[in-house]
Amino acid sequence: MEYLTFKLDGDEFAVDVLKTREIVDLRTVTKVPQSPDFMLGVINLRGSVVPVIDLRLKFGMEKVAAGQSTSIVVMDVLVGGETLIVGAMVDSVEEVLGLDDSQIEPAPRIGTRLNTEFIKGMGKQDEQFLIILDIDRVFSTDELAMVQGAAEQPAFAE
Amino acid sequence: MAKKIMAVDDSATIRQVLSFTLQGAGFEVIEAEDGQAALEKLANDPPDMLITDLNMPRMDGIQLIREVRQSSWGKFIPILMLTTESQEAKKQEGKAAGASAWLVKPFKPEQLLAIINVVLL
Amino acid sequence: MTMDQYAETFREETLELLSELEVGLLELEQNPEDVDVIGRVFRALHTVKGSAGMIGFDEISRFTHEVETVFELVRSGGLPVTGELVNLTLAARDIIREMLDKNLAGESADTEIAEQLVAALRGLVPTQDDFSANGVAETAELIASGDNETSFHIRFRPPANIFHRGIQPLGLLQELTRLGSCKVIAQTDAIPGLDELDPELCYLYWDIILTTEHDEDRIRDVFIFVEDDCELKILPINEDLLAQSGEGGRLGDILVQHGDLSRDDLERVLQAQNKPKLGEALVQAGVVTGAQLDVALEVQAEVKRQKQKREAVEESSSIRVRSEKLDSLVDLIGELVTVQARLSQTTAGQDDPVLNEIAEEVERLTWEMRDHILNIRMLPIGTTFSRFQRLVRDLSQELGKEAVLVTAGAETELDKTVIDRLGDPLVHLIRNSIDHGLESPEARRKAGKPEQGTIFLSASHSGANVILEVRDDGGGINRDAIRDRARSRGLLTSEMETSEAELINLIFSPGFSTVGEVSSVSGRGVGMDVVKQAIDSLRGTITVTSAAGKGTTFTIKLPLTLAIIDGLLVQVAGEKFVLPLSAVEECIELSRQDVANANNRNLIKVRGEIVPYLRLRERFSLNGTPPEIEQVVIAEAMGQRVGFAVDHVIGEHQTVIKALGQMYRNVKGLSGATILGDGTVALILDLPPLVQDAEADERILTDSIH
Repeated sequence: MEYLTFKLDGDEFAVDVLKTREIVDLRTVTKVPQSPDFMLGVINLRGSVVPVIDLRLKFGMEKVAAGQSTSIVVMDVLVGGETLIVGAMVDSVEEVLGLDDSQIEPAPRIGTRLNTEFIKGMGKQDEQFLIILDIDRVFSTDELAMVQGAAEQPAFAE
Repeated sequence: MAKKIMAVDDSATIRQVLSFTLQGAGFEVIEAEDGQAALEKLANDPPDMLITDLNMPRMDGIQLIREVRQSSWGKFIPILMLTTESQEAKKQEGKAAGASAWLVKPFKPEQLLAIINVVLL
Repeated sequence: MTMDQYAETFREETLELLSELEVGLLELEQNPEDVDVIGRVFRALHTVKGSAGMIGFDEISRFTHEVETVFELVRSGGLPVTGELVNLTLAARDIIREMLDKNLAGESADTEIAEQLVAALRGLVPTQDDFSANGVAETAELIASGDNETSFHIRFRPPANIFHRGIQPLGLLQELTRLGSCKVIAQTDAIPGLDELDPELCYLYWDIILTTEHDEDRIRDVFIFVEDDCELKILPINEDLLAQSGEGGRLGDILVQHGDLSRDDLERVLQAQNKPKLGEALVQAGVVTGAQLDVALEVQAEVKRQKQKREAVEESSSIRVRSEKLDSLVDLIGELVTVQARLSQTTAGQDDPVLNEIAEEVERLTWEMRDHILNIRMLPIGTTFSRFQRLVRDLSQELGKEAVLVTAGAETELDKTVIDRLGDPLVHLIRNSIDHGLESPEARRKAGKPEQGTIFLSASHSGANVILEVRDDGGGINRDAIRDRARSRGLLTSEMETSEAELINLIFSPGFSTVGEVSSVSGRGVGMDVVKQAIDSLRGTITVTSAAGKGTTFTIKLPLTLAIIDGLLVQVAGEKFVLPLSAVEECIELSRQDVANANNRNLIKVRGEIVPYLRLRERFSLNGTPPEIEQVVIAEAMGQRVGFAVDHVIGEHQTVIKALGQMYRNVKGLSGATILGDGTVALILDLPPLVQDAEADERILTDSIH
């Protein structure tokens, strides 16, 4: 199977290449009010309005200013039986690589910074570990419900 | 053999129009200027069809039709009567006498031939 | 056109007839009542007229006809021969003579003298009724009618003595075959046994299936010489037969229609039938002949052919398209509109006339295309109307009222999505009108109204909007009840001044209901606020007017389509938002001083009226400080005027609406997004929920203060 790899805060992540649609440069993102911080907003992708997630924030990493290599990986995500097109902002996109099942180990229970539910397994390449993401789970409905929670918070500036 | 049509009209002009049109269409035409003259010619040489005016001196068209229908040779021959717009009653009389069809004057040669097509096999 | 070859014959003949006419007229002067002479004069005129008409001397024919007409009257005893008549007719003879020479030479005669004479002749006739008859009236032209082929079933039964009139049925049938494609079936069932057979009589009759581009009259023309005496049925094989059943008209029905089978016999055979084929059963039962069956089968086949043909035509003239395909077309045109906006924005900054011209042309084409594409989704609203008839009937029965529904404008077209979502609000309004609007029959009688109340439901176009009206001729809205209710609900404080219109529009406020007891009809959980919300969600507005004792009118104004709206583009903290322009009333500047004057309360004075406003910056938790002078967009939302404070108002914007999608489905106050000319995304505000939320927050704050 082939994976697209990208970097977030120094760690390397991978997603099934079949889930990805395209990689686009960072562009103007319109913030949607009353949504959690990790939901960056929406972009214009050739006429379609596509939501973009800041994966750093989603995974509880520190927010940094976007750099030259910051990219948006546009993916098909299955949420509640429905396929959504979602963009994920990453620090940089690395490569597409093939991994046998033998090269993938189950996710460790501890030792990673993120919710193990999001992790499909750990890949190993050149002594470097890859965190293979279950991207559908990252965007699961439970996670999205946060939007509602956020919306119900008083939104006053004072 | 060409079919024979007798054209009966007291107007020489109309007889000529009839003859010219019918001969042009391949028919043989015998002319008569009124009913009396027609009957005299018919007895010797019965035609395949009769075209007759209604208003004529000596013997008018209605009487001619009656005579023809009562003859031994004219029982089934097609008879076309020439009428004018104002002769509706005459037309009915002619039909009752045994006319096959009628044509209102003035007519065009095509109209005459169209009717002959229908009534004369 | 003169037929030259007859000219000489005609001239000689006419000269002869004219001298006959002259002699006759002179004789009449002596013996005015001589019938023979009158006949000769008439025949002379008649023959001149006929001959002239025959060879195209219309002038002579027409003129002679006038004279002949007078003499026809004389001949029938309707007019005496007078000296004057003889003089006029002699003059007419001279005119005919002159016409003859002139016409033969290719000239026209002096029409003035002819006309004077005609007038004088007409003057002799007591009544002038039928003088318009034209001597050279054309005999009926045999003209094909239209290009479309139709099929006819012709039943022709000639009179038995047809041969005695010199007519061969075969000739007529052959003539039919010239009209189109023809199938002829001879019916032999009337032929008697040899001992009774008269060889001079015709026993046969025929059924003909004719497919022709001619019409029924043309077919009738073929039989013109026998029509009065024969049995002639010409039945178009058409929709009526198609309508009788799905499968090309039932065989039994066709036979009954032809008169070949009685309904009773059909029923009898149908009941006794144990074979699959009705036709065979009927023939076997001896109630129809094989040939009659053949005809019916042929007609049936023709009906089937026609149905297929019609379906093929229908298929080619309209095609069914999945609505998803239309949706994607709407999406694409939305993109095009966006790109076009970018193009216009880009070219506007450049001093290139050629480029600008192209951009303008693209703009024109884009908008034209947009209109066409949006138009494809339009459906007549009448489909929704029909279900309300039943509703009104059932409801008025249930409530013991008498009501009739009158609809208008069923053909008004609206976007399919709008129609789908309009059903429930309309049902509610109609229920409300019957329940609260119409009085009981007794009350109506006392008020001098007909016992039966009327609910009017109408739709009409008004610019880019569709106006729907639900009107009743009931008692009108009780304003005092509304005022009381509004006060008890805190929607109205006693010191608040409200206009009539504002007062009755309070019924759209959440939780409002004027009727104390909950009726089983309108009181079922939903109030007018729900209707209002539904209309709001369609980007429409609803208002109510009412006259005491006369009735109430609800007016719904809806945009033609949901896909593209006119918007007002505003900016707050660098973010752009679009407000639906349909809700916007005006824009007003708000200075720091104004804010201070209002004691920092979010109230602004608009031409003497205090209007509350909310700050988008606050509601959306946007950073930064507002500019010195803000703009407040005054809009209509939740039945009231509300201001929306923004940093800048940028201007009007044709807004292609994009869904924000699943991920933002729970975000309130936004109805979607749109792509701006510069390619960035702006959010579209959904005003009512914004106002609702703000009010709720206000209440929480107020409650916590007290």
